[in-house]
Amino acid sequence: MNKAVSQSGRLIGQGMVRVDADGKVRGLTRYLNDIDYTGMLHGVVVRSPVARGRFKALVPDPAFDWSSVVVATAEDIPGENVVHMHDRTMPLLAEVGGELLYRGEPVAVVAAKTIELATEAAAHLRVEVEELPPLLTLQDAIAIFKKTPVKFDSMQDQDIVKGDLAKGFAAADDIIEAEYWAGHQEQLYIENQGFTVFPLADGSILCEGSLQCPYFPVHELNDPLQLPPEKIRVRQTPVGGAFGGKEEYPTMLIGYAALPALKSGKPVKITYDRHEDILFTPKRHPVWVRYKTGVKKDGTLTALECDFILDGGAYLTISDVVMFRGILHCALAYRCDNLIIRGRVARTHSFPCGAFRGFGAPQAIWGMESHIDAIAARLGKPPHTYRRQLHVRPGDVTPTGQILSKENGSTACLDLALQHAKFAQKRRQASRGKLRKGQTKYYGIGLSFFAHGAAFTGDGEAKFKAKGRMELALLDDGKPGVNIRVSSTEMGQGVHTIFTQIASDALALDPARIRFPMADTGLVPNSGPTVASRTTMVVGNVVYRASQDLKDQMESFASQRYFRGAKTVLKNSQFAAKSRRPLSFAKVARDMLTEHGPVNGFFEFKLPPDAKWDQVTFKGDSYPGYSWSANIAEVEIDPLTCELAVTRVTAVLDVGRVINPILAAGQVEGGLTQALGYAIMEKMGTGQNGLYDASRLQTYIIPTSLDTPIYDVKFVEYPYSFAPPGGKGLGELPMDGLAPAIANAVESAIGKRLRTIPITPEDLFAALHPAQGDNTP
Amino acid sequence: MSTITRTWKVNGKPIKVRAPAGRRLLDYLRDDLGLIGAKEGCGEGECGACTVLIDNEPMVSCIVPVGQLADGTEILTIEGVEKKRAGRLLQQAYLECGAVQCGFCIPGMIISSYALLPKNPKPPTQAIRPPLSGNLCRCTG
Amino acid sequence: MKTTEKINIRFPQTLAEALRLQARKNTRGTLLAGGTDLMVQWASGTPPPARATSLWNLPELCEIEVRDDDILIGAGVTHAFLGEAKPIHRHLPALIAAAATVGAIQIQARGTLGGNAANASPAGDTAPALLITGGDVLLASLDGTREVPLDEFWTGYRQIAARPDEIILAFRLPKKGSAKERFRKIGARKAQAISKIMAASRIRVRSGRILSAAIALGSVAPTPIRLTQVEALLTGQALTPSLVAQAEKLAQTSVKPIADIRSSAEYRRWVAGRLVRDALENL
Repeated sequence: MNKAVSQSGRLIGQGMVRVDADGKVRGLTRYLNDIDYTGMLHGVVVRSPVARGRFKALVPDPAFDWSSVVVATAEDIPGENVVHMHDRTMPLLAEVGGELLYRGEPVAVVAAKTIELATEAAAHLRVEVEELPPLLTLQDAIAIFKKTPVKFDSMQDQDIVKGDLAKGFAAADDIIEAEYWAGHQEQLYIENQGFTVFPLADGSILCEGSLQCPYFPVHELNDPLQLPPEKIRVRQTPVGGAFGGKEEYPTMLIGYAALPALKSGKPVKITYDRHEDILFTPKRHPVWVRYKTGVKKDGTLTALECDFILDGGAYLTISDVVMFRGILHCALAYRCDNLIIRGRVARTHSFPCGAFRGFGAPQAIWGMESHIDAIAARLGKPPHTYRRQLHVRPGDVTPTGQILSKENGSTACLDLALQHAKFAQKRRQASRGKLRKGQTKYYGIGLSFFAHGAAFTGDGEAKFKAKGRMELALLDDGKPGVNIRVSSTEMGQGVHTIFTQIASDALALDPARIRFPMADTGLVPNSGPTVASRTTMVVGNVVYRASQDLKDQMESFASQRYFRGAKTVLKNSQFAAKSRRPLSFAKVARDMLTEHGPVNGFFEFKLPPDAKWDQVTFKGDSYPGYSWSANIAEVEIDPLTCELAVTRVTAVLDVGRVINPILAAGQVEGGLTQALGYAIMEKMGTGQNGLYDASRLQTYIIPTSLDTPIYDVKFVEYPYSFAPPGGKGLGELPMDGLAPAIANAVESAIGKRLRTIPITPEDLFAALHPAQGDNTP
Repeated sequence: MSTITRTWKVNGKPIKVRAPAGRRLLDYLRDDLGLIGAKEGCGEGECGACTVLIDNEPMVSCIVPVGQLADGTEILTIEGVEKKRAGRLLQQAYLECGAVQCGFCIPGMIISSYALLPKNPKPPTQAIRPPLSGNLCRCTG
Repeated sequence: MKTTEKINIRFPQTLAEALRLQARKNTRGTLLAGGTDLMVQWASGTPPPARATSLWNLPELCEIEVRDDDILIGAGVTHAFLGEAKPIHRHLPALIAAAATVGAIQIQARGTLGGNAANASPAGDTAPALLITGGDVLLASLDGTREVPLDEFWTGYRQIAARPDEIILAFRLPKKGSAKERFRKIGARKAQAISKIMAASRIRVRSGRILSAAIALGSVAPTPIRLTQVEALLTGQALTPSLVAQAEKLAQTSVKPIADIRSSAEYRRWVAGRLVRDALENL
């Protein structure tokens, strides 16, 4: 059924049909729960019943028949009870005698032949605790931060300093200060989390499941499982959505399943149902951000002071890096010579927050883009003209001292979005709290403008050295072709397709002869996790260069073997030398495999040699490249009920070279929809019982096909020339800035600024009718 | 527990059913018949990933007990869609328009779309939104 | 074995057979229609019963009869079927609108009017639209059939006036005649949402004077309720802006909603009045 465009050499930039779509539309693709494993046990996690307490004992019910049940506790952990994430504080399972730090913290894993039996057995394990008073929410933590800063418990601090803040404020004509809040957000991939762990005869484990980062578990579980990296093999199954949710958390699942698997010698599968998945997997970090800004009458931003505090939950896990990305995006898009940005990660007794598309940037941009509108309003300047005045462009210097190159389409995004959405004209129709003639609803239009740093922060990519391999091999049809061997995972974003396009162009080979098998750490070099908007930019470059390497090797072989050393070129799937009859790719490949054995093209990613970064002072080139976007949201608010509808969203994006415009547009629309939910629907907090208050699909509300506005998505291309084919980050950018665009549109509709998202009818009611309403924060 | 025996047509094929009356249709399709195309996303009738056609009506199979489906019930799952011309065209349209990302919601989406076509053979965009609103999608929205 | 598989579900083929099962304590089972509430509750932690009696597709419950002044709708009629039953739409527009907001199409194809009423959730989508008709619920048992006014049907939080041996047979709903109906549901999103609040109204006006008014709200009290004080205020009065303002205010002071995961008490109280205004301004 798949009618992939089968001309080679010019697929980049084309809307090639997804290579994985055929199986998906026919219902043939087998996700983890569609795979039939025989002889497997089902694992169920036993959890702390309190948000904080002393773990006194784990008591099995003597009346229960435990004979066919495997129970694994911290005592069954072969090595040191610690999972390596970004620090070494979090145990795999809590230990008796220690302190339980969040509701739902795992204390044991029960495995049995059926999930029902395992669930029943788990219910017969009593977790005895002595309850201690918890600190549950970011609101509580911020109250401490404001009142008694010394008592505020931060798991990680980082500041960014540029210029002289005091001098900047002294030069200001006006000072504008405000605070912004956002709550948790759930990734809500439609396929829940799950993993199966097989104990193998040599003591190693094979892990199969839904994840983004196959090499994470390989390196994070060595201590507790007492297994070296080569004895933890991870295979990806088709991923039914991830959005960051399957970044760091699958390590934990593998750890939980591995314990009863190693204890019993049988494979153990753990899959969560939706309720458990929502309650006990990481969320986007709630944020409190305070901006204090100094401006001159002409609009010059002379000083910016920012406190950016995330709710990390009970353990750091990866929150430090989320906070780093957050503070790097707090003041990225505008000119300012004097600034201090202070990032903190609050510790609370709640489930550790984790990766979610945007990774700190949406929280930062939410605050900054609201605040820029507030400054513009104070100055009496329209928000778009103020942004046109203040935004950074090539040659400008970022908060960390990076000089923006010509490959930043900031101005182009802003201008095209304004023009395309007719922002200036439409803004004149904004209601500002009073219905205009002909309006039955308050109308508002709002703008946001922002960048997203592509790839790992700072020198992360330089240190990491992403590796990839292009493997000449006989494919599933018995004929020769090329396997893409990188650790990037397909999770819906389309990497299998765009890497096929890139490889096809770089090799000049028919895409039908290229395969991208599921990532398997036993077979793929470590090209890094599928995160950070780095895949197309960094790993895409690795695929491109490794393909060129393979092409060179094959051309050189063909030249020697058939054409007496004459210059030979692989083109249109054929090897051609001047005035010789061309040879098919298949013939050359077969001969080469027979005569050489394994044939591979390799590449290892490097950053430009002049890239500089200081991880201590946060100075230098904070990202290799930046993607840019301007979002414009139009809203209608019903004065009768305060119901809010987002009617139209215009998004212009510079993501560098667009590899596949159809996939890119789809990913942008999906990201905008997720951002729409963040802005106006997806409300979740830590309740007094330590659990998220919205924990089912009936209460955690995401947009449906009836809630999505009309999307108008346009790309401008400023490719990253250092790493052909020149893509920059795309995945996270559409999640970053719609919330403030909507909040700005709401302000333009009702004349009041809301500083907490999601913005619900209840909040609009409280804003419009303060006498009757409660004052929600 | 009560056990039922029934005869249905699943994807055009007669099937003899023997199962606990309270077994969810979703489990029967996936575990007993091996039709894994329908997915479980929530098990609570909210996400639509398990949507199948029961006598031409789209229903969420995670909340339908098999005992309630009488003899002669016709069920169409994603596996049967491509046997119909309209089904194949629909699948092709999903491919070409870039509707698919992670794919997990897609079987349910296609079933709901397929159910719409006899009622509204050439639906304008706005007419497509309501019948798909019971199929949550987090990738494309 | 999943929890619902343990249930002994019986499938009576006739109403008489179902009534016989329900008549005796030791054969009685939880009544199961489309399962859109019960199957979900059983999947999400509520222990399932030992026995259930399926009413799905029971022929006697699936009929709609249009009579001179009223319409009999069988308890087993699905929301989807209501949507397709075009001849009744002009007589009961609020109910039709309400049924179209139940879940999404997959749920509308399974959920029944009787099930929605019996589930007795204060957020049940069809309840306010039933209440404003002033009709009755027909309850059947081996003793015969009795009529309970809808106003007396929901007796408390998730409680109904039916005895354990009774089955909801049908709803007898007077046609709206010359009255105007309106239904409005406010949810957290445009489709497939459980309501924050909803309102249905049936108001008859002649020459600028309100002859009769029935207004009902959902999600503001332990049961769906009629706004009887507001109705009394309106009846017989000339429809003026000041009357509308009075009615709005009275609605706001006469309801005592609670705060929950879906909304705040303040918003619900305020918007209750706004929906009354909406009804009066759209006559």
